[in-house]
Formats: sequence, C-alpha cells, structure tokens
Amino acid sequence: MKNSDRLIRAMIWDRRRRAFFGVLRELRHDRPGFIGLLLLTFFGLFALAAPLIADRSALLAASGRNNPDLAAPSAKFLFGTDEIGRDVLAQLVWGSRVSLFIGLFATLVAVVIGSVVGLVAGYAKGKVSAVLLAIDDFFLVVPFLPLAIVLAVVLGRSPLTLAIVIGFTSWAGSARLIRAQVLTLRERAYVERAQALGAGSWHVIRRHVLPGVAPLIIANATLIVPVAILTESTLSFLGFGDRLSPSWGKLLDGAQSSGSITINAWWYFLPPGLCIIGIVLAFTMLGRALERIFDPRLRGR
Amino acid sequence: MTTPVLQVNELQVSYHAHSGVVPAVRGVDLEIAHGETLGLAGESGCGKSTLALALLRLLPPTTKVTGSILFAGKDILTMRPGEVRAIRWAQASIIFQGAQHVLNPVRTIGRQIDEASETHGMNRSGGVAELLEIVGLGARRAKDYPHELSGGQKQRALIAMALACDPMLIIADEPTTALDVMIQAQILQMLEEIKRERGLSMLFITHDLSVLSQIADRVAIMYAGRVIEVGAGRDLLREFKHPYSIALAASFPVIGDTASRRNPRGLVGDPPSPNDLPSGCAFHPRCSVAIEKCRSTDVVLKSVSKSMDRRVACLHFGGQSD
Amino acid sequence: MSWRYLLKKVGGAFLTMAVVVVFNFFLFRIVDRDPLAKYRGRSKLTPEQRETMIRRMGLEGSKWDQFVVYVKSVFRLDFGRSFDSTQPVLEEIKMRLPATLLLVGVSTLLTIFIGLYIGTKAGWRRGSRFDKASTSASMVLYSTPEFFFGMLLLAFVAGRTGWFPTGGLRTVGADHDFVGNILDRFHHLVLPMLTLTLGYLGSYALIMRTSMIETLGEDYLVTARAKGLKDSEVMSRHAVPNALLPSVSLIAISCGYIIGGAITTETVFSYPGLGLATANAIQNNDLPMLQALFMLASAAVILFNLIADIIYAFLDPRVKRVE
Repeated sequence: MKNSDRLIRAMIWDRRRRAFFGVLRELRHDRPGFIGLLLLTFFGLFALAAPLIADRSALLAASGRNNPDLAAPSAKFLFGTDEIGRDVLAQLVWGSRVSLFIGLFATLVAVVIGSVVGLVAGYAKGKVSAVLLAIDDFFLVVPFLPLAIVLAVVLGRSPLTLAIVIGFTSWAGSARLIRAQVLTLRERAYVERAQALGAGSWHVIRRHVLPGVAPLIIANATLIVPVAILTESTLSFLGFGDRLSPSWGKLLDGAQSSGSITINAWWYFLPPGLCIIGIVLAFTMLGRALERIFDPRLRGR
Repeated sequence: MTTPVLQVNELQVSYHAHSGVVPAVRGVDLEIAHGETLGLAGESGCGKSTLALALLRLLPPTTKVTGSILFAGKDILTMRPGEVRAIRWAQASIIFQGAQHVLNPVRTIGRQIDEASETHGMNRSGGVAELLEIVGLGARRAKDYPHELSGGQKQRALIAMALACDPMLIIADEPTTALDVMIQAQILQMLEEIKRERGLSMLFITHDLSVLSQIADRVAIMYAGRVIEVGAGRDLLREFKHPYSIALAASFPVIGDTASRRNPRGLVGDPPSPNDLPSGCAFHPRCSVAIEKCRSTDVVLKSVSKSMDRRVACLHFGGQSD
Repeated sequence: MSWRYLLKKVGGAFLTMAVVVVFNFFLFRIVDRDPLAKYRGRSKLTPEQRETMIRRMGLEGSKWDQFVVYVKSVFRLDFGRSFDSTQPVLEEIKMRLPATLLLVGVSTLLTIFIGLYIGTKAGWRRGSRFDKASTSASMVLYSTPEFFFGMLLLAFVAGRTGWFPTGGLRTVGADHDFVGNILDRFHHLVLPMLTLTLGYLGSYALIMRTSMIETLGEDYLVTARAKGLKDSEVMSRHAVPNALLPSVSLIAISCGYIIGGAITTETVFSYPGLGLATANAIQNNDLPMLQALFMLASAAVILFNLIADIIYAFLDPRVKRVE
C-alpha cells in the first residue's frame, strides 16, 4: 500500500491505542469501576487456575465414592463435599469456567445480533426498519425466562446451546439502544458528506457509524454479561446444563435437589452463590463505569 | 427618601466546583426605587442570571453568597427559611427565561398559577381567570398544559404567574430572548402597562440593549461578575462611557445603516471564564484604551461628575487615572 | 382519554398475543421429525396407541392442518394433556394459579412500594449516607439470583430456627378453623414472598433513583421553590410525579422478570404454584404443560404492559391521546 495509507493506518491505530489506555486511566479514578475490574481479574485468574487447584477427575460421579457425603469443610476438602462425596471446591473452580464461558458467549451472541439489527434498523429506512423494529418489540415483550426455557427444552441442554439460547433472548434491549445511537449519528454532517461523495451504505456504516457506536456497544456488552450469567444460573438451577461439568448454577441445583439446604450444608450452596454475586457485581460496576466514561452526561451517577 | 424596593450591597456569589472556587458575582451594588425599572445588561456568562437567582436565594446550597440583599429594608440573606419562603413571590417574583422548561409539564397552567397564591394564603377574588385576562391569554387557558401553549403564550402565562401574589418587584430574566421580534414587542408593551397600572418595580435582565432603550429608567451594564457602568437610562444609552459598554453597543448593527452591518465594530476575543479571570480590571485584555495601571488595579464604580447620574468602573473616569 | 388510543393499545396487545401463539406453534414442531420425539414413553407405545396420541395431540396431517387444529384448540382453551400427570393441562393450571397469583401479587406490590420509596429518597438526597448505603445495597440485591435469597432464608431462618416452615402451601394434615387456615397459609407465604421481594427490590429502587436524579435537574423545580414552596412540597408535587413517568414503563417491563423469579422461588420452597409446575415440566419434558405455561406467562406480561401504557397515558398529559 502507499506510504500515505500506511501513515494514516498507523495514526488511526495510535489513536485507538491511546484511547484504550485513556479509558484504563480514567477507570483508575472511578472507584466502583476499578473494584469491578479487580474482581474480574480475580475471577478470571481463578477460572484459568482451575487445573492447578483441582484435578478434572474430581468432577466425575465416581470420584466421590470413597469420600464422606456432605462433609463440612476440612483440610482435605476446603469447601467440603456434595451429596455424592465429590469435592465442592473442584466443582466450584471448574464451574467458574463453564459459567464464565456461557456468560461471555451468550453476550457475544446477543451483542452480535443486537448490533446488526440495531445498525440496520437505524441506518435503513422504511419497511426494513419497521419490520426489524416489530421483531425487536416482540422480543422485548415476551418474558425472557419462559422463552429461554422453552427454547432450551426444544433445542437441547448442552452449555453451548444454553449460551446461544440466552444470547438469543437478550439482544432486544441492545438493538434498541444501538438503533437510537445510529439514528443520531446518521444525521451528522460527516455521514452526509460521505454519502454525497458517493460512498456506499456499507462503507459508511463501517467507517463512520461503527466507530461512533463502538463505545456504546462495549459498555452495553459489559452490562449484558451479568444478565447472561444470572440467566445461566437460573436455567442451570432449573435443570438444564450438565451435571458432569457443572456451573455455579448447577451447584446450586445440586444443593437444592439433594435437600442439603434444610440441613444447612452451607459449604455447598454459599460459595457458588457468593461467586455469582461477586462476578455479576464486578461486571455491573465495570459496565456502569464505562458508561460514565463514554457518556459524560451520565457522570455523577 | 422612601426605602428602595430592592437594595443590594456588595453581593458576592461563588460556586464550588472541582477546580476550586468560581466567582460568578464579585461585589455588586444595586438599588431599585419604587415604580422604577432597572435594566441589567451583559453578555452570557457575566453573572446576571446568577444574580437574579441569588436575589431570592434560589441557588444550590453549595454556592456561597455574601453581602446583603434588602427587600424594603429587610435582608433576605439573614432570614430563616420560613421567612425566606414568605418573601418569595410575595415581595418579588421572577419571570424566568426559557419558558420551555420552567413549567411543570404534568400540571395545568391554572393550577400552577393558583399554587403561588395558595402557598401564600392569598385568596384572589378574580382568581386565576383574572390574571390570565390581564396578560391576554383568556380564562379558558387555565385548563391547558404547558405543551399546548406556544412560546409567546407560555411567556404570558409566566407573567400571569409572577403577578399572582401582587409583588412589589418583578425580576424578569431575559423574558423576551427566545421570542420573535413582533411578539417581543407585544410582551414588552404589556409589561409596561402592567407595571404602570400597579406601580411595580422591575429588574429587567437582558443581553439586548435595544430592548432596554424602550423600558428601562436606569441601566446597569455587567461584565465578568461586576457592574461596570450604571446610570439614567436615556443618558446612558445615548452616550456610553465605559470602553466595554461602547463596544457592546457598537456590536449591534443599526437598521438602515448598512455599513454597520458589514463592519460590526465588535470586540476581539471572548468574555473571560469565571475560573480564569484577568488581574486588575477584568476587561483590560480586550480593551483598546487600556493602560499599565489597568492590569494591577482593582477597579470600582466611581461617579463621573456631580451633575450627571452616572457611575463607571474605569480608571479613565472619576479622576482615577493618575 | 380517547377511545381511539385505548383501542389502538388493546389491539396491539391482541396482535402481540397472536404472534406469540403462532410462534409457540412453530417452536415445538420444527425441530424433530418424529412428532412424538419428546414423549418419554414413546418406545412403549403400540402403533395404534401412537396413532391415537398423534391424533389427540393434533400432530397429523400437513403443517397447515396442524396449525388450524392448534389455533382452534387454543381458542377452546384446550391445551392437551400433561405428559406427566395425563390430566388436562387447563385443569392443572387452574389448580395452581391462585397460589402463584397470591405470591406474585403481594410480592410485586411490596417491591414496587418499598422500591419506589427508597429510590425516591435516595435520589432526592443524592450523595447522602442513605443514598450511598441504599444504592450499594440495591446493587448487591440486584446482582443476586433471587432463588439464592430463598436458599439463605431456608437454611438460616427456617432450617435453623424453625420459625417458618420449609415449604409447601400449608401444613399437611393439620386441621385448622377458617382463621387458622388463613394464618397457616400466610405463615407459609412469608419466606417465598420475602425472597421474591428482595430479588427485585434492588432494581426498582435503582430505576426510581435514576429517574429522580434526572428530574432534579429540571428548571420547573426552581420555579416551584421560587414560588415559596417548601422542599417537601416541591418534591411531592413537582419532582415525584415527573420522576414516576419513566419508572412506570420500566416497572412494567420488570414484571416479566418477577414472573420468571416465581419459577425458581417456588422451586426452592416447594410452593405448589405455577412456578413449581414449570420446574417439574422442565424435568419431565412435559411439552403440553410448557407450551401452555409459556403462553400464559406471555399473556400476563402483555397484559401488564397494556396496563402500564394506560396508566402512563393517565399520568402524562403530553401523550397524544387523540390520534
């Protein structure tokens, strides 16, 4: 490519890099956001360190055979055992991977669908936009948990399907937000000029509109993750998901259906519940902080 | 001499922001006599709206207000909350600028006007209907909501509301700024009539000098939180003395004089931001006749001569330049 | 309010419901080639039994035929028979509806009132200790899955202290008089109700707080103060009515979440309502039940949205009520 192109590319990437570090710097000043980031890092490391903390075989039903059932925490089992004798800590730490994976993947699905729908609905005019809006309306009205349940029953119960189902029921809100932003951006002068110069719609969207909505998409995505994780925990609790590679929600399901709650086997349900609260809080605080950074109007919330 | 309706002494207002203390009003003295209209002119940011809000203690609790504000001799700054509320609207009421957002969108005009008299325990004989007739809106408008009125109609409603408690002083903060010129003229005329019939005093705040020429008995010009020139309306508007006033007046193109439109003899630069005021006389960086002393001396209002009712805050006047 | 506006909104609600019905039809039929794929006992059926089942479930014929049969049965409120209990789905639902209505109804009212109160107070005095404390608490509540509250209450309140029963609708086998019966039911209602309320209190409080903060920046509040009103009067007469407006619509949307929450809460406490029925239907792959419950839940949320729209039109005179 020409040298001038190379120079422009370099400048753009330099600007983006500086913007990224600028955001990080701003985050440091925002206390809740910073705490959120720290918590996230902690959970991320926790999930990554799974093989170091417990062996994967501890998840198999057979592994519990020689252990006492529903044993309270001890030196050997830091978080005690479940009703068939499996190590709760092992399930907790490997479960973090499942919960995080489903939460993040579901968010990806939701953000992709929501962004595409939002972009097209905002940019196109007339019938296309109207139809998309109607579809969006439908998904906003229908109660998402019943919808997720019926979809999961029909489509299957593996973690991947679960993630897709959750993503599929969560995109409607983002689409609305993104569409609104695209509408404002579309009226901006530089878009008109690009169109006057003969730029195709796709090019305009990619080069001009997308950078404008990108911050919004990122901040919004950070706020969808907590919803996805909560939904996953609820669905797992209700019976979906895999008992052999349990998520935090699945642990809670195990605690519930084995009757461990009434006999106060707190080590079984307290850790997964607290982990869920922790990670949801972390993403929420981070997401709100990002919102504040990207939209100065919201400062002081 | 009778007590002036409003007397302001050494009023200072500062905001507390992240960057520090921001002075919006830096020592203002004002006086309005019975039945008199004082025009207060200045550009955006000079502190005139802050001044208006400060008069009735409507600024947020984080602002610092010092000095004295006397309504018929009683200082509102030393009153307890109950007394302050009693004075509000009953002694002095405000016609806010931007009628768009100053009315509650979910309550009818009639109820909002009535609320004022009700709060002060006044039982108006004619009620809201009478007030609406006075401002030319018609009694049936009482049932309307703010969004059902046009800009000019909303302004009239605000005036009706301002009269609800028969105040002695009306503070009009840019009441005609957002309106078309023709409606502007109607509103001004109406204000004049009302003022005359009821013997009201008025503090008319605006950035438009031409409006003041019609209705002001005396005029004060504000710049960067201070009054820099004040005097009898006719004289002042005919012949400005302070360099800023001269420049301000010259910025308005004169109808009929095409030359003035093509070469507006306006000012260089922008008004200073309150966080970052110049030393000495706040105007000196933009002043064409500034001298060395202007940078270091804090300038105050001094009388120009014994015969003329005029005070100017400039080293070139009142024998201050030597 | 004009009739046209009302008609338009009601019409919209019916249209949405119709879409839900159609969606429901396709949902369960597009995936498997064998119409009885989800029925657990299918391998044990004789060919004749299969035929009867297929006919009874309206699964024979072309897709269009099936659709016609389906729509007709929906209008008749015939949702088939539960795979699990083989009783008509409609009966099963009717049996369990009152319990859930009671639970969700009381919890929603509590959540709305307490949440709005806390949110208003926190927003009005932004930055105060109350605000900081209640906002942090709200965020923690909002981050917790509602059934986890149930577990905590079950373990530490019911389990340990025995003050409250650990589940069910009423004490089995007990013979109370009328008042005793009511008290007994209420006794069993407390913990599930507390669970649902806590689960959604946080988000309502935060919604109201945000709304209040945005309203506080409005100019008409200065006007109100200038007229000599007391702070409490400014808040109650001018700030709150305006702050409530966006909250009304958001609360209506949240009702969808509470319905979801009822499912898990009833599970934790074995409370025999529609929620528990849903959980069981999931376990047993009871398709007819799930279909009907899904439609019922959708209908409920659509109804809430309609009510919220109407309430909003009452509260906000700017809504165009004449088209």
